[in-house]
Amino acid sequence: MRRDQMTPLERLAAYGAGAPIDRLPCVPIVGNTAARVIGVKVGDFRGNGALIAEAQVAAYRLFGYDIIRIFTDLYTHAEAMGAKVSYPEDETAFLAAPAIADLSQIDRLRPADPYRDGNLPQHLEAMRRAVDQVGDEVAVTGAVTCPFTNASFLVGADKLARLMMRSPETVHHLCEISLQTNIAYAGAIIDAGCTPSLTDAMSSMSVISPRQFREFSFPYLKRLIDYIHGRDRKVTLHICGKTSGIWDAMVEAGADCLSIDNDADLGEAREAVGDRVRLMGNVHPSEVMLQGTPETVRRATLACLAQAKDTPRGFIVASGCSLPTETPFANIHAMLDTVRDAGWPVRC
Amino acid sequence: MSQIEQELFQRLSDAVVDMDEDEAVAAANEVVERGIDAYRAIELGLSAGMERAGQLFDEEEYFIPELLMCSDAMYAGMDVLKPHLRSDGVSEKHKVVIGVVEGDTHDIGKNLVKIMLETSGFDVTDLGRDIPPARFVETAKEIGANIIALSTLMTTTMEGMGAVVRQLSEEGIRDRFKVIVGGGPISQGFADRIGADGYAVNAADAIRLARSLVAPAEAAA
Ligand code: B12
Repeated sequence: MRRDQMTPLERLAAYGAGAPIDRLPCVPIVGNTAARVIGVKVGDFRGNGALIAEAQVAAYRLFGYDIIRIFTDLYTHAEAMGAKVSYPEDETAFLAAPAIADLSQIDRLRPADPYRDGNLPQHLEAMRRAVDQVGDEVAVTGAVTCPFTNASFLVGADKLARLMMRSPETVHHLCEISLQTNIAYAGAIIDAGCTPSLTDAMSSMSVISPRQFREFSFPYLKRLIDYIHGRDRKVTLHICGKTSGIWDAMVEAGADCLSIDNDADLGEAREAVGDRVRLMGNVHPSEVMLQGTPETVRRATLACLAQAKDTPRGFIVASGCSLPTETPFANIHAMLDTVRDAGWPVRC
Repeated sequence: MSQIEQELFQRLSDAVVDMDEDEAVAAANEVVERGIDAYRAIELGLSAGMERAGQLFDEEEYFIPELLMCSDAMYAGMDVLKPHLRSDGVSEKHKVVIGVVEGDTHDIGKNLVKIMLETSGFDVTDLGRDIPPARFVETAKEIGANIIALSTLMTTTMEGMGAVVRQLSEEGIRDRFKVIVGGGPISQGFADRIGADGYAVNAADAIRLARSLVAPAEAAA
């Protein structure tokens, strides 16, 4: 087995500059699997920034991947704006009730204060601690749930979908206050020495049309990305599910790197937008990473390399979405080892 | 079918596809005024429209928001027609318990399947999302369901479907219910493995499946 010769920060900097590297960057997107690395329960992360940092740093040290992402679930912003979140003892949290039960309460909604509301302060704490411990060797990012997806947690997904047709201005209002929360939180993430990492599940073509994406999601994404660029950070944007019809718009919104889900075709993405943005993806998080063997992972990783290793703007080998909590460690190691073996220039 | 019936059924169907609640209500009122059979108006008008909407979804012409608006128009028409259903003309409705299995809160797909089942004349009890296996079984017994319909989009929660089938077997009541499953990671192979009675890839197929599963019972009765 080949060993890494560079730190993640060195590798990404060299890759970006077109200089030689030891291997391609590789990011199995580890979320709550980090709890397994230090033997704690997922529920223990609630309100405990120190523990999130400890777990994420330990997971990074164990696997040696290229980006640490502070993420436990999608609902942190909505929770900070009044949504009810349920925390099972040892599983990922989920939305129990949206922030408002009825649109008559819409005036109650306020942008969240990242230093005060919900669990946002603890997540920022986790970021600061991770940067303290390993910030000189690896990039630490903080997950931001983008405006349109967060809006769906404020009123409920079905209700938001109906409002798109019945009352577009209400949807715009919900996205606008979500954007204010996002910008405040993104600012705090950058002040903590980290980079915001954008995720937007509901903007998927599995849910809304490309036209609706343009109307309701794009304007806010663009303003969020403009803000982050204004603070001199590059932006990775992940949208789940089918996305082929909105890749152009995602690029136009300003994303520097698109994280492609396993429901989309990486080779097609390279053809369509690989000359304008970096790509990352898209080993199947559940069928391959959770349920497969190290050998299945190796083959799937090689397939991704074959499809996208020569993306003009660069390629990061990654899982298509966050890994399920119980993903076997051996499979995560297998993904990195495959990329190490493929070396640079990539042989596969 | 008379010309006027045909025209009204077409108007109902179009109203659903066009997401036009007012038109659905207007056409349904005309059905009632003219004394046309409400059951056929639902089946050949509103249901047919919802089926067309489903096709447009498969073709990526419509997305989730459009489908939900179509279903609103459909329910608006139904509300007008329902009180006029002649009970003798319609056989006892088949009952379905539907829900998303424990640990999963994705419910957009489940809601679509529920809507389509209702349009197709099933009496649906919706338990919602994040439902433990025992609740499916209890509810099915309580209401005397014909079908238990289970949905999940996550690999990590698929086993909850197997647990429902196992509990039915353990209680010795497996043959009292048909169990159908669906959602992203589910396949026919998985359905066979856990001993479910059927799998469908989308809402339109789910209806065909549900109909075929209750059909033999009807022939025997
Ligand atoms: C929208 C979405 C969300 C929304 C859900 C909003 C809601 N109220 O439902 C939000 C943002 C909340 C969300 C959250 C999460 N999500 Co999500 N989400 C999606 C997305 C993008 C689309 C799903 C959707 O609604 N599709 C549209 C509907 C109409 O399709 P459908 O559900 O498949 O239903 C059709 C058929 O399957 C069938 N059907 C469905 N049910 C049934 C039942 C029966 C009986 C039958 C016969 C047929 C049938 O008919 C339906 C209509 O045709 C998918 C991506 C994808 N590829 O699907 C990810 C996806 C499902 N999510 C995923 C994940 C991991 C999550 C989170 C855990 C993320 C996180 N880390 O926090 C959380 C879940 C928390 C929890 N415990 O539940 C993963 C699941 C991975 C896996 N296989 O295990 C997916 C696949 C994304 C990915 N590539 O990784 N998500």
